[in-house]
Amino acid sequence: MKFGKRLKQHVEETLPGWRDMYLNYKDLKKLVRLISSSLEYGKSEEAEFVYLLNNEIEKFNVFFMEQEEDFIIRHKELQQRIKRVNESESSSQGEYEEEMARIRKDIVDFHGEMVLLVNYSNINYTGMAKILKKYDKRTGGVLRLPFIQKVLEQPFFTTELVSKLVKECETTIDELFPTVVVMEVEMKEAATMMAGEGIFRNTVAALMTMKEIRKGSSTQSHFSLPVLSLPDTELIRSFQLNSPIPIV
Amino acid sequence: MQSKKKQAGAAVGFFFSDLSSVLFNNNDLLFASIQSRYISSVKSELFRFSVAKSLLLSSEEKSELLSAFSFQIVVVRITCVAFDFLCITLMNTVLRKHLFIVVELSGMSSTNGTVGHIVSASSGMSSNLHISSEETCSEKAPFISQTSEVLRSTAFRDFLKENNTSSWCTDSLSDFLEYPENSPIQSSNLQIMPCEDVGKPNDWQDWADQLITEDDGVTPNWNEILVDTAVADQIPKMECHAGKSSRTSLTLQVNSLVPASPGETCSPVTPSPGGSQSKPRMRWTPELHEAFVEAVSKLGGSERATPKGVLKLMKVDGLTIYHVKSHLQKYRTARYKPEPSSQGPSEKKPTPLQELSSLDLKTSSEITEALRLQVEVQKRLHEQLEIQKNLQMRIEEQGRYLQMIFEKQCKFGIDSFQPASSAPEKSETELTNEISSSPARTKTESDPVKVGSPSSDNQKVELDPSESQPSKRAKLNESSSTESS
Repeated sequence: MKFGKRLKQHVEETLPGWRDMYLNYKDLKKLVRLISSSLEYGKSEEAEFVYLLNNEIEKFNVFFMEQEEDFIIRHKELQQRIKRVNESESSSQGEYEEEMARIRKDIVDFHGEMVLLVNYSNINYTGMAKILKKYDKRTGGVLRLPFIQKVLEQPFFTTELVSKLVKECETTIDELFPTVVVMEVEMKEAATMMAGEGIFRNTVAALMTMKEIRKGSSTQSHFSLPVLSLPDTELIRSFQLNSPIPIV
Repeated sequence: MQSKKKQAGAAVGFFFSDLSSVLFNNNDLLFASIQSRYISSVKSELFRFSVAKSLLLSSEEKSELLSAFSFQIVVVRITCVAFDFLCITLMNTVLRKHLFIVVELSGMSSTNGTVGHIVSASSGMSSNLHISSEETCSEKAPFISQTSEVLRSTAFRDFLKENNTSSWCTDSLSDFLEYPENSPIQSSNLQIMPCEDVGKPNDWQDWADQLITEDDGVTPNWNEILVDTAVADQIPKMECHAGKSSRTSLTLQVNSLVPASPGETCSPVTPSPGGSQSKPRMRWTPELHEAFVEAVSKLGGSERATPKGVLKLMKVDGLTIYHVKSHLQKYRTARYKPEPSSQGPSEKKPTPLQELSSLDLKTSSEITEALRLQVEVQKRLHEQLEIQKNLQMRIEEQGRYLQMIFEKQCKFGIDSFQPASSAPEKSETELTNEISSSPARTKTESDPVKVGSPSSDNQKVELDPSESQPSKRAKLNESSSTESS
């Protein structure tokens, strides 16, 4: 399946507030086609294209940094919450458990959201790389290489901080979750129940999308990423049973 | 002769502008072979890296990667045997660079007739590299210094001067020079940069400048570029202040993001291209947030603290009241609606939590397990994303590296031309063979510029199954010996 379609699907699947924040791949593709079909290709067309790309980059940066800021705040807040819950001796066991359960759910969702932001960054980068490649191919330009270097430096692509937060989150999660052995069946049931909802659905979808995007394509080259193979593909795919928009 | 020089000069321009597309799009095979040869060099860091990276991938992915490379090696029919050999024996990265440029130059011949001139030219250039399999690195040292000098020589500039270029050449050059600012700045970020004794970004910059100043006939276009680059230069200094609102200078501003981010004094501030005057975008960090929280708590909590007070307490350069204000707002929201599953990602979801309190422990552990699973999936996704991102970065780095050495070699390789042998198809192999077999000689500008004939048939160069190596070598030896006499 083509990237454009994949992207579109992903955007439909993604968090509502994020839908407008993705790359306008379709429009840019149209523009490339327009430019390549027009007989005289000059600097002004390229400038226009670059202008649009820069707009997109700006959009990504703004959104990304906003989210990042939010994550930083929420991360701290969660830590505070955990601290408070652990330190408050006045609450009963039940209350404690309740709060912990809430915290657990929240932190897992938080983790998921952060990962989704990294995914967002990556998908947009991939889209950019693709559209630039298309541009060069269609118009014989040399836009791609220098431009992509620029993109690599952009805030939205430098996801190190978010990744760091993700890892910290994972450590916290490991601490929070009691080691309980549960039967396979129950686990699957519970998982499926949860899979239809919220962040989990998004992350599953994102993972599948990623896999699909990286499936061997006709234009696979030395610049292409290798095919993604996940050991748990089937399991993950089963999570999508509840999804209204199945990703094939 | 003159016209041929002109052609060659024009070809240079075309050649630069089309380098990417030729090499990376239309000439995949050639590039692949170059790449595969390069990678086959055990000394190559890149290869090591890709091997290392491939360890992170599943074995399936790994074999995919490796098979992709080996496939390329098999498919490519350029007679790069000598080249291959050289790569392995070649310790010195400078020479390796030259080789790549040379082979890439020869690749050009397949797409443009006039570029054939360059091919023959560079074959002459490369002859002084004189690398034979038996030679060790140390022996090559004298050549290296020679070639380095040549690189920095003005030969190329002079040559271009002689050849007043046609308009399209100019255009393509201008296009190409559009982003000169980026390469120099960004090359410092390249981690896989081999030893840069042939000069770094500065050379490239100088060369670009030289080009700009040299040729009067095409001044108008290049003045533009000059302006562009000059402005881009100034922008980094201004990035700490309010962002620019002018949309027209977007390109430049995005350029400026590059030098802006690393090592700036007001490090948290990222200039926003096209942002409004009063709100440059701020990139928060956990440390900054800590300071913020401290300041807020000192002022009596998030409700009582004022942006102004917080700003004063924090004492951070580049932080404006707008930043603090918006951050404070977010902070307040986060506190009083902790992790609202009702906000943002809300879809249809009966919160399992409601069920939790009324159900028995079994369900709650189910939920816990489900959460655990969710985390696993998310972890997996994150892992893959990181791997993917690293791969993407490496791919681009590699491309950029090759581009750069190619440019450097170009500067070096255009200095003189070499008569090509009569068979056009062999121009590429000529090149490589010449590298291996030509006697050493100092590159001088006095070498006669003879432009060879190979052009029209060069389309099939890279697909041409080689004739026997020895015979070619013999031919080339012949021609080169006549040259040097």
